[in-house]
Formats: sequence, C-alpha cells, structure tokens
Amino acid sequence: MPEIVRIGPYKPQLLEPERFELLVENNKIIDVNIELGYVHRGIEDLFTKRTYMQNLALAERICGICSGVHTLCYAQTAEGIMDVEVPDRARYLRCIYMELERLHSHYLWFGVLAHTLHEHEVFLKVMTERERIQDLLEYLTGNRINYLINTIGGVRRDITAKKAERILEVLKDMKNLSDYLLMLLDRDGAFVEKTKEVGILPRSIALDVGAVGPTLRGSGVKSDIRRDDPYAAYGELDFEVVTEDEGDVLARTRVRVRETFESIRIIEQALENLPEGEISVKPGEPLEKEEIGRAEAPRGELIYYIRSNGTNIPERVKVRTPSFANNFALTEMLRGDIVQNARLIIESIDPCFACTDRITIIDVNTERKRGLES
Amino acid sequence: MTKKKIAIYRFMSAGCNGCDVQIFECLVPRYKLGDLGVEVVFTPEEANVLAITGSINVKGAEELKMAYRKLKSPKIVIAVGNCAATKGIFSKGYPIVGPPDRIVPVNLYIPGCPPRPQAIVSAIAKALGASLDEKEDYWSTPEGFRGKHKFDAEKCIGCGACAQVCSSDAIEVIDEDGKRLVRINYAQCTFCGFCQDECPTQAIRLTKEYHLSTDDKKMAYIVNEVEMLRCRICSSYYVPSKQIRWAIKRIMEKAAVYRDLRKELEDAMQICPECRRKIVNIRNAKRLLASLAIKTRVS
Ligand code: SF4
Ligand code: SF4
Repeated sequence: MPEIVRIGPYKPQLLEPERFELLVENNKIIDVNIELGYVHRGIEDLFTKRTYMQNLALAERICGICSGVHTLCYAQTAEGIMDVEVPDRARYLRCIYMELERLHSHYLWFGVLAHTLHEHEVFLKVMTERERIQDLLEYLTGNRINYLINTIGGVRRDITAKKAERILEVLKDMKNLSDYLLMLLDRDGAFVEKTKEVGILPRSIALDVGAVGPTLRGSGVKSDIRRDDPYAAYGELDFEVVTEDEGDVLARTRVRVRETFESIRIIEQALENLPEGEISVKPGEPLEKEEIGRAEAPRGELIYYIRSNGTNIPERVKVRTPSFANNFALTEMLRGDIVQNARLIIESIDPCFACTDRITIIDVNTERKRGLES
Repeated sequence: MTKKKIAIYRFMSAGCNGCDVQIFECLVPRYKLGDLGVEVVFTPEEANVLAITGSINVKGAEELKMAYRKLKSPKIVIAVGNCAATKGIFSKGYPIVGPPDRIVPVNLYIPGCPPRPQAIVSAIAKALGASLDEKEDYWSTPEGFRGKHKFDAEKCIGCGACAQVCSSDAIEVIDEDGKRLVRINYAQCTFCGFCQDECPTQAIRLTKEYHLSTDDKKMAYIVNEVEMLRCRICSSYYVPSKQIRWAIKRIMEKAAVYRDLRKELEDAMQICPECRRKIVNIRNAKRLLASLAIKTRVS
C-alpha cells in the first residue's frame, strides 16, 4: 500500500516554501505532486499597472537571488519595444554585473548543499567568502541584492578603473574558493558519496521535459543562451559551456562549480576589453508591438514576453522562469529514487520558487488544485 | 560566548526571497549573531523568535498563524524587510493579505529592500539590549549606497515629480492648510533611487544610513513641507510658491526673449489653472458675443 510523504511547505524547511507530496512504496518514490502558491504575488498583473521604468524594480523582485538577470532580460525585451540600441560599454558592463550575480548564486547554492549534507565547516567557508561578492556588488551598485543596475537603454552605474581593480582583487579569492570546492568534488567524502548516482536525469528525458541551465547541462546537453542566442557582449567573449554527462546530483554540482571559473574568465575579459563611451542612452517612445527576449539566468533560460499598445504602460508581460521549466525534470529525478534523497534532489535543481510561484493548476476532472506535475 | 537563548525561525510568504537570503547570510560568523546567543532553527517549535519576510498571501496567512501558535513563549515577532512591514512593492498584488501585522502581532520592524545582514543583526542586538562593536569596514556602507532618504529643504520645490516616478508608491503628496507635504515612507520603498534621479533640483538624496529598525512603523517617514500659493482670483491654494519661482527662473534662463514679459508671466502664474480656464472662456464668450452682434447688425 503506497503512502504519502509530505515535504514542506514550512517544515522541514527548504530555503523557500513549497509543498511536495511524494507517493512512496517500499521506500521508493513512485509519484510526485508539487504544490506551490506560498510565494504567489500576482506579479504579471502588477506589471500592467506601472510604467516601463517602474517595472524594472518589479521585475527585479520576481527573485531576490537572480534579481539582476530579471532586470536585464526585461530591459532587453523593452529595448525591442522602444527600438533602442544599447551602447557598447553598457553591453560589456552588463556581462560583468551578471556574471558576478551568477557567482554569488552558484556559491549560495553550494552553501545550501553543504547545509543539507551537514557539512558545517564547508557551509561557513563558502558563505563567508561569498560575502565578499555581496560587498562588492553593494560597492558597485548601491545594494547587495536588488542592485537595479540595468535600465532600459543601458546600465545605471559605470565601472571606473578603481572599481575594476577591486573586482579583480575579489576574483582572485573567488578562484581559490572555486578550486577548493572543485577539490571537494574530486576526492572521497560526503560531497561525492551522498550525491553520486542520486536523482538521475538521463539526457533524453532532460531534453523531453525541457530542462534548462545547469540542470540540463548536468545531463550532458551543451545548451546555454549566452552562446546559442548571444546578448549583451557574450558573443564577443570567450567561455566554455560546461557540461557533465552523468545526470546525477554530483554532475549538476560539478557543472555549477566549473561554471564559476568561466564566470571569472568572462569578467576578466570584459574588464580588459571594456569599450569607452556612454553607459546608457535615453529610450524612445514605446512602439505598438510585441517582443520576446531571453537570457541565461544562473538557473537556466529566462524568457520575457511584452506586448505594447504604444502607451508607457505595458499591456501584457509574461515571464517564463528557469525553475518553472526545471520542475518537470524534478519530477523525473524523484521518481524511482529513495525517499531519504528527496530533499537533496529537490535542492539539486537549485529551485527558486519565488520565480516559479505564479501559477496553480487545477485538475478539471478531480477539481484538485495541483502545482506542476509531468 | 553566551548561552544560546534566542532561536529564530524564518517564515516567508509572497516576498522575493531577498530578505530570506539576508537572514540566512546572518549566519556568517563575521556578523556575530552567534556572539549574541542567537541561532537560526528550522522548526517553529524550537524557536521563540519568528522572523517574517514577504507580504503574505492568502495561502501563506494560514501557515503563518500556525507557525505563530507553535512558537515558544515569550513570543517575539520581527518583520524583516519592507514587504513584511507594509507589503512594499507588492501592495496592490491581488493575492496579498498582509502585511504580517494584520495577521499576527509584530514587535519589531527592520525596513530595507532588503535590509543588509548588518542591519538585521544590529537591530536584534538592540532589541536584546546588547551592543556590538561595529568597527570593521563592512559595518559602514560604501559611497553610493542607496539607504534612507534625505531632503534638502532649501532645494525642494514641492513639484511631486518624485512621487510620479516612484516604483513602489512610497511617496505621497499631501496638500493641506496652505502647505504641501511630500512624504516618503521608507518602509514601503524599494530604494530604487528613481526619486533621486528624477528630482529637478537634486533635493532628494539616498544616504548611507541603513539602521532603520523601529517598533513603530508609523515613524518610518521622511517629510518635507513647502508653502503653497493662493490664486489671485479665487484665493484657493493651488501650487507651491517655490515651484512657480523655479519655473519662472527656468523660463528666464532658457528663453531670454521673454525677459521683458517677466511681470506678466509672474501675474499669469499666480492664477490657478481653473480660473485661468475661466478667463480664457470669458474671452471666448466675449469674442462670440461680439461676432454675433456684428452678424445681427449686418443682417
Ligand atoms: S522587502 Fe524587498 S528584498 Fe525583502 S522580500 Fe520584499 S521585495 Fe524582496
Ligand atoms: S527610492 Fe524613491 S522612487 Fe524608489 S521606491 Fe523609494 S521613494 Fe520611491
């Protein structure tokens, strides 16, 4: 007789609230139901009540971890609506800010992993080092999380020579941190033993369910919006799209840690080749049209859709976040694994329910409210 | 080290997660949360302090009540961030039923979007009657930090441009008794800085100040007051006098040709738009009557 095991929403606590119902038989997970809604704020409705500019602050608050890439993706899409060309310097600066964000996001994720595995020392080390990036972002933008650095038409603050020096200094330490984390994944210990062959997502299924970001790359698929559909200055910078073939929690962990080295390389190159000139231009009036934009968030492909009726308030804004896409993969990973691994597997997609939590599905046959299920 | 006596349980509903992560970051040793005898726990039953983030939606409200019930006595509730103080930027979101103090009693508010971990730890220390020596670099804020606002009363002309561009409905313009109040609620604000960018006279500045905790959120305001001008015709108050003076000065600077008309301009601007419209109408009416009179004479 299968039993139902519940995880969340608030107990035991994940970094964000959501409820998982696992159908379990003989300790094996046979089905999953994800219930969301605890973070739902009606953002897409709010988008249509403010001006394009004011909406930057709203887009940023869809997620307080990958806040920057939300403003970037929103701004890029709005730039299509207003037909504005961003200056070269701003394109490079955008890459720098966004890769700093990827760094702090990936490190935070590792911190959460260490926390889950009760590796307290590693947790403290990662989080302590990570604060240096938060300090740096605060120094560069004026806020450590909601930096509001991207604007429609460019960026709001420049990086001077003095600031660049400080960035390079911090990056040196981050390289050491990444070396240390990679070392943990290369030798025997909790980080390998507890994650190897856990929560496997085979390549073909990853593609079928439309996984994105490190979740997809951990299953051996070379896909990255920065390379496949370059935006900002990514087309002019050299970096590797990191993949691992195994598709387990370890592979997804390795992808994220190896990606931090690439982020560091991108920032260094962008600083070195930073073009001179303006950092923003004034956008024109919104045209009557629709636009789609996408960007590679730390968790994968992020998509914005905006429909404009020519006024300064958008008529419709739709957001497809990476965690939404990855939820389907999550169900696949959980199915067949043992219930003790559930929490680790859930965390392995680096879920951000603040982004995802904008929908509920109600099954018309049973009238049961459902979150996302394959 | 003191004995552990305070255990905090985090609760989030309908926030962006930014504040939640800040509380998580308080665990980094440099913030000295441990020195205060404070730990972060993962079930409400183990805790006596509830740290709420987010503006609380329909679904979260029930869970919040439950978490509060399970909390150990004496129960202390802290609202971390502006969502948790006032619903912040999500104020008009349809599923939002907060802020938290409508659902459970709140003892302390820590404004910010998000508040820095330094602000959170420092507020907790203050509430415990303890003091931290905050002498390391990271306790101060860098140049360009977007913190609590400051008005330059000399410069502010009361035009309300800041309220127009505000990303979070945090600025109110209130006209009463011959005065105009421009009022910023920094517990509602996102600290976007749009007001600072838009102000035509650079009268608003976001400062480096970040210690904003309070037990009374009605105190979280910054107000500037300007005198209003009376209409020469109907004598109602209709515009800040400084704004008129500023506008005339601008016109004189930009278009020197009008210099001779300064007096007329000043007079015209001392009549409220309502009366001005009436005057124009009177003129039109006169013209109409005149042309009618001509017509009748001709016919
Ligand atoms: S107050 Fe600001 S940072 Fe905190 S949860 Fe709300 S939107 Fe996010
Ligand atoms: S910084 Fe100014 S414009 Fe931005 S939310 Fe606060 S009061 Fe409004």
